[in-house]
Amino acid sequence: MVTGIKYCGGCNPLIDRPGLVKKIEKLLPGNCSPVEDLSTKWEIGVLVCGCPIACADRPSIRRMARHWIRVGGATVDLESVHEDEMAGVIVKKILELKKRKID
Amino acid sequence: MALKTPEQYEESLRKLAFKVYLMGERVENPVDHPIIRPSMNSVKMTYALAQDPRHEDLMTATSHLTGKKINRFCHIHQNTEDLVKKVKMQRLMGQKTGACFQRCVGMDAINAVDSVTFEMDKKLGTRYRERFLKFLRMMQEEDLTVDGAMTDPKGDRSLPPSKQADPDLYTRVVEKKKDGIIVRGAKAHQTGAINSHWILVMPTSTMTKEDADYALSFVAPADAEGIFYIYGRQSCDTRKLEAGQIDVGNKEFGGHEALMVFDNLFVPWENVFMCGEYEFSGALVERFAGYHRQSYGGCKVGVGDVLIGAAALAADYNGVSKASHIRDKLIEMMHLNETLYACGIACSAEGHPTASGNYLIDLLLANVCKQNVTRLPYEIARLAEDIAGGLMVTMASEQDLRHPEIGKVVEKYFKGVASVPTEHRCRILRLIENITLGTAAVGYRTESMHGAGSPQAQRIMISRQGNLDYKKKLAKEIAGIKD
Repeated sequence: MVTGIKYCGGCNPLIDRPGLVKKIEKLLPGNCSPVEDLSTKWEIGVLVCGCPIACADRPSIRRMARHWIRVGGATVDLESVHEDEMAGVIVKKILELKKRKID
Repeated sequence: MALKTPEQYEESLRKLAFKVYLMGERVENPVDHPIIRPSMNSVKMTYALAQDPRHEDLMTATSHLTGKKINRFCHIHQNTEDLVKKVKMQRLMGQKTGACFQRCVGMDAINAVDSVTFEMDKKLGTRYRERFLKFLRMMQEEDLTVDGAMTDPKGDRSLPPSKQADPDLYTRVVEKKKDGIIVRGAKAHQTGAINSHWILVMPTSTMTKEDADYALSFVAPADAEGIFYIYGRQSCDTRKLEAGQIDVGNKEFGGHEALMVFDNLFVPWENVFMCGEYEFSGALVERFAGYHRQSYGGCKVGVGDVLIGAAALAADYNGVSKASHIRDKLIEMMHLNETLYACGIACSAEGHPTASGNYLIDLLLANVCKQNVTRLPYEIARLAEDIAGGLMVTMASEQDLRHPEIGKVVEKYFKGVASVPTEHRCRILRLIENITLGTAAVGYRTESMHGAGSPQAQRIMISRQGNLDYKKKLAKEIAGIKD
């Protein structure tokens, strides 16, 4: 089950986007490493936007994955999360989605 | 009835039993009081334009609760288009009234309360959102004008609410009963309060645990037993008591502010949206202030349009419209005014959804917008006075113009360009006087400075949201500095 990463353009990020993705990679089990390959459709996509405006959250991007986890500045799925805790929250959501799919 | 006619709005106000004091006297009939009525006319225009096919696209929206057509002032923003249309509507309203039309505070309050009650319920397990949505349905269905009431008198600014010599200087709950709460305190500078059907009270600032009694949000009928108002004076307000039309500058429209006093007001629990949840007070204040700072990028621009038009006419009537420095000053006024509008549109276009589904403006850009509003209208007003000339403050009265004997003298010596009647020149100069230093200056100047938060409040927000560390990082990269 592929998990993909899609970044916004990064004009004025309020969070360290690549740093967040590195933390997510570290926390995910080995066989779950996220990809940035846009040629295949993903089961789960993590939309990593640097600010709450999340300009990359648009229909053409949404079609790339079945499920999305939306990061917009220090928010995950529109809820405020401290930057230090974001990777943990996102990984938990990824694993829950994978488990739901397997069940 | 999802849309009231202007006449129905006026009639609905007449049915309210307001307790209002103005210049030492109780006002029995606020709707027809000559000092208050122009402000009522401004709010009434929000109802009139919603009925007008030429303006309904901006003035109305579709309710996300009922799918019905409602006045945009009762709407919860569902996307960035709604945010942009809000600013355009406010510019239109400023253009049509040349004054503060007062209904924005309620719109900004419902949008802030919507997302905050949602988040509060989710985190704390409270049931505030259900209550709020019930109120919102009624507001939309009955097309109500709601006064968003935030600013407390605050007393000694160096002390928190609970340490004030008089604890009522901040609005607070004094008793929690089985069926509701008792509230005491006051709200200052309440724009349009006496033209409103309901009030929506919010905390004045971020509260701490010690000040939990002041973390309070609720709605109440504007004429509820336990609320009274002391009407605020405005520069040149008693000109409205005179019989003429010219010297008031803007005969039809105006704005108003009042001190709203809660004298042991009872509020049933079903109308309470926050009571002690101090950790959410900051978010409510920040979001309401953000929406209201966006608002100024629309309403002040509309009034600015009227003032620029008046200055251009004054130049025409004085015979100086072809002078290069006059043309340049008019260009500068338009540039400044459109700069404000650009900020209002920008913070709207860069809006984003909240967890409740409603849309919030970009808070940094909204604060930049309002910071500009604390400055640029003053320069626009200065240029208008420059173009108008000293006559705008030394001109004879309307009574003199109409006088059977000296009227001819006034007519002769206050004449500008021969083809323009003297009365036209008098009218346009009085309008400039009205906006720059008369009753409307309350809205166009001092409200631009302090309304929706004084300049320092925006600077704090800009400092907090300006992302300075990232800017340092960018500079280090370009300069080749490696830590």
